Amino acid sequence: MDDGRLYRFLRRFADIRPQEVRSALYLFLYFFLITFTYYIIKAVKENLVIGINPRLWPVADLITAVLIGFVVAWNARLLNRLPRKTYASRTLVFFVSNLLLFWFVFWLQPRRKFWISALLVLAKTSDVQIGSVLAFSLWTDLFIAMSVTQFWIAVNDVFKIHQVKRMVGFLVTGGLLGGIAGSLLTYGLVHLINPVNLILICPATLLLALVVVNFLHAERERTQDGSTADPAWAGSGIGYLESFRTVRRDRYLRILAGALASAMVVGQLIKYQFQFIVKSNYPNPGERTAFLAFFFLAILVISTVFHLFTTGQLLKRFGIRLTLLVAPSVLLVAALVAFFIPVAALGALMVWAIGTRGGERIFDTTVGQSVRELLYIPIADEIKYKAKIFIDMFVSKLGTGLGAALYLLLYYGLSLYRYVELPGEPLGLAVRYFGLPVVVFAVLWIVLTWIIYAEYLGAVKQDLEEKWPNPDKLIQAHVDMDSTLLIFELLQSRQKSSTLYAMNLFRLKQMEKLTPEVMEVLTFKEDELKAKSMDSLLGVGGEVFYPGVEEAMTADDFEVMVREIVALPSYKQLMERHLVGAGGTKTDTEVARMEAARLMGLMEPTPGVLQSLARLLRDPSPDVLNYALDSAAIHLQKEHIPLMIPLLGNPTTRQAAQYALAAFGPRIMDTLRKHLQDRRERPDVREAIPEVLTRFGTQKAADILVAELCLREPELEEALVQALREIRLEFPDVLFREQKISEVILSLIRTNYAAILSAAGERPGGGARPTLPGAKAAVDLRTKRIFDLLTLVHPPDDIVKAYQNILQGTKKSVDSSLELLDNILDRTIKTYLFPLIEDLPPAEREHRLKKLAKGLGVVSS
Amino acid sequence: MDIQTRDLNKIVVFDISGDLSRPSGVSLHQAVKSQHERGMRNIILNFAEVGFVDSFGVGEILASYISTQHLGGKIKLCRISKKLYLVFQVTGLIKILEIFEDCESALQSFEAL
Repeated sequence: MDDGRLYRFLRRFADIRPQEVRSALYLFLYFFLITFTYYIIKAVKENLVIGINPRLWPVADLITAVLIGFVVAWNARLLNRLPRKTYASRTLVFFVSNLLLFWFVFWLQPRRKFWISALLVLAKTSDVQIGSVLAFSLWTDLFIAMSVTQFWIAVNDVFKIHQVKRMVGFLVTGGLLGGIAGSLLTYGLVHLINPVNLILICPATLLLALVVVNFLHAERERTQDGSTADPAWAGSGIGYLESFRTVRRDRYLRILAGALASAMVVGQLIKYQFQFIVKSNYPNPGERTAFLAFFFLAILVISTVFHLFTTGQLLKRFGIRLTLLVAPSVLLVAALVAFFIPVAALGALMVWAIGTRGGERIFDTTVGQSVRELLYIPIADEIKYKAKIFIDMFVSKLGTGLGAALYLLLYYGLSLYRYVELPGEPLGLAVRYFGLPVVVFAVLWIVLTWIIYAEYLGAVKQDLEEKWPNPDKLIQAHVDMDSTLLIFELLQSRQKSSTLYAMNLFRLKQMEKLTPEVMEVLTFKEDELKAKSMDSLLGVGGEVFYPGVEEAMTADDFEVMVREIVALPSYKQLMERHLVGAGGTKTDTEVARMEAARLMGLMEPTPGVLQSLARLLRDPSPDVLNYALDSAAIHLQKEHIPLMIPLLGNPTTRQAAQYALAAFGPRIMDTLRKHLQDRRERPDVREAIPEVLTRFGTQKAADILVAELCLREPELEEALVQALREIRLEFPDVLFREQKISEVILSLIRTNYAAILSAAGERPGGGARPTLPGAKAAVDLRTKRIFDLLTLVHPPDDIVKAYQNILQGTKKSVDSSLELLDNILDRTIKTYLFPLIEDLPPAEREHRLKKLAKGLGVVSS
Repeated sequence: MDIQTRDLNKIVVFDISGDLSRPSGVSLHQAVKSQHERGMRNIILNFAEVGFVDSFGVGEILASYISTQHLGGKIKLCRISKKLYLVFQVTGLIKILEIFEDCESALQSFEAL
């Protein structure tokens, strides 16, 4: 089957990309072969362990917990020293040789050769048997722990964060199917051959795994441009102690370790509860073995079905946090249920035990395993492998050991053995007592899970850096916009008239913007101009300026003097007559009208002044209008508003009109709303209104903007979104209704779907060629708008960083961005948004959009 | 004011002539937004032939800068007059706007990215 066919085939089962096909398939086979082998070994081991005294059951677990540290140290050293491919190959060969040795020991024992006893330190035959069984049990635990860890290391080597998340379900299915196949083979052969001889199948399957591993690494080298460098470990000289220190130093890893250990304690105690209930219900070893074989096979089958239909859905629907909480919550409830079962009701206890142990196993092999692996993904490569080995192998076994120790403590310390071993004693009491620590550790597990989720998102965010600064914030931090515009106004006025210049200078002073820096520019450069006879730096035209006007303006008494003059009744009378009669009429020069408009801002708002100002607000000159608007912003007269609003439509007066209208404050909002909603109003006037509302920064202003946005008028969209984005930035207390924002976002997504599918439809052969540049640019602008809207209902910094990294990030940071969005966005939004923002080949993107288009209500051409 | 545009790879150069001021009535920001709609994100504003810039012109430059930067693009200015540079210094705008003595340097700075 070529890659294309294989891809189309695998796509039915997994959310896979064409370039991932081979690696995914090799990993699937790798996991299949490991679990296939393990479930054969497990059946043989269970059979051997059940044969020894039940009091010795926890011993194997305790020995494993104690010895696992040494194995971790050895494993860490191997990982540290060997290239990943060599490490994986050599450990597989090591396991093969171990299995042959165990088979040889078990094969020899029944033959009772005298030298075997001698070889095994002169021990009694029964001790030799127990010793070899415990050794095999220990080896089995180590084998599965190391093999699974190696498998997930391989997954992390080959795939990045979001790839793993997409494919984890597929890969775990490989493991489950391997387990079923191994169990079925064992079940079929156990009646035909000696169970010990089943061990001989395992070296063959592990050698097959060896072949797969080599293919996997060859593929990895091919897809990573021949690069054979392994993440993190190469040459770092790190051992077991360093792994331990790594976990100890990192809060996230400590919590992860704590959650896993709690889960292991819960699982271990449930296992013992299950075992003594089964022992009590099935005293006959043959019947018990048959029951256990059937039970484990059933669990695997249920796990597979559950996994295929539920794990992915749980993750998609509820995200990592709730999925993580499923197992501890269900087991906590199960532990509490045991307290309501009559203590002597063996049948009911058996049903409870099957349900609880079955549930624990199913959750552990499906949801638990998948999500646990996801939690490692945001950890930096350089510490991931150190930590993973320590947590997966040491901490998990420590949890098992702790569970075993608690079992022994309760079993002997509280004399619970009498309920288990003595006939006539109520077994249910033992179940209840063992249930108490289960409750405690399940609660701890829930708490740690809750905490780790918050830490998880924090760890994901660490990968995201700001690719470019937010221009709004940058301007806010570095530029005083009001003074900037006034300074430019001032310089402009110098070209027009010395009176206007003086008036503007005074206005700047009134606003306390006549800083020493500005003064330096105004005075020093003028001297330079004279001295060097250069072209005008601050061009003054032909008019003569009174020297030192800037210094005079800064004198303390200057402002007082001006105020006193404008307050004089005679001044008012004269100036009013001048403004009404001469200044400010159309027959005056433009400069005279500008001066009059500026002057009106200095004067008291008498009816005459206001009337003249109203006339100037209708002036044909944009320069006059700007001064008139500035004065109108000082007097704030209601009757000027209808004259000011049309000026929003003119680009040359828009800024001043926005400033002047904003000066009225929130009381003007209803008027602005009317004009914004009025479809007969000029579009450029309506477009300028959102910016005015932004300046109020109130909840009402935001609500008006959102309500208008929901009406979906494309020509207003940009202005509305920009205004809302600014409100969010400057007024973080303003709230936005997620449902309304989501509706708009979905509408934008819908438009993008239609645009892409329509462009694909116009091309011969569909998605083989890239989308037309114009259409693509429009799609990109709408995508940006979607992210702007997302900032309204999610932390703006997170959304902005995610957007920036998707656009310009590294492969890892793109992946982290998607992971972050996957965790914080609403399910519907992310379902439809992701195919637009993921890095997909055009044909693949179109395929996905087509699949989702119907649900979104898109009619493609 | 008149704006002539030319494409250099993925960079658009705006050769602006005349005054960037209120009476000119031409919206620089609108011209920049048209480039965004073409998918262009990197823009050089050549001020060699610009006579005067007023508060309206500065507003246009800043609006262009903000909308381009939000899209992950960049706007760079070249050959601005000493006067404008001085005012940009006083108003703090040189901390935000990327200003080059000649347009070749502005172009090279894009290519170096």
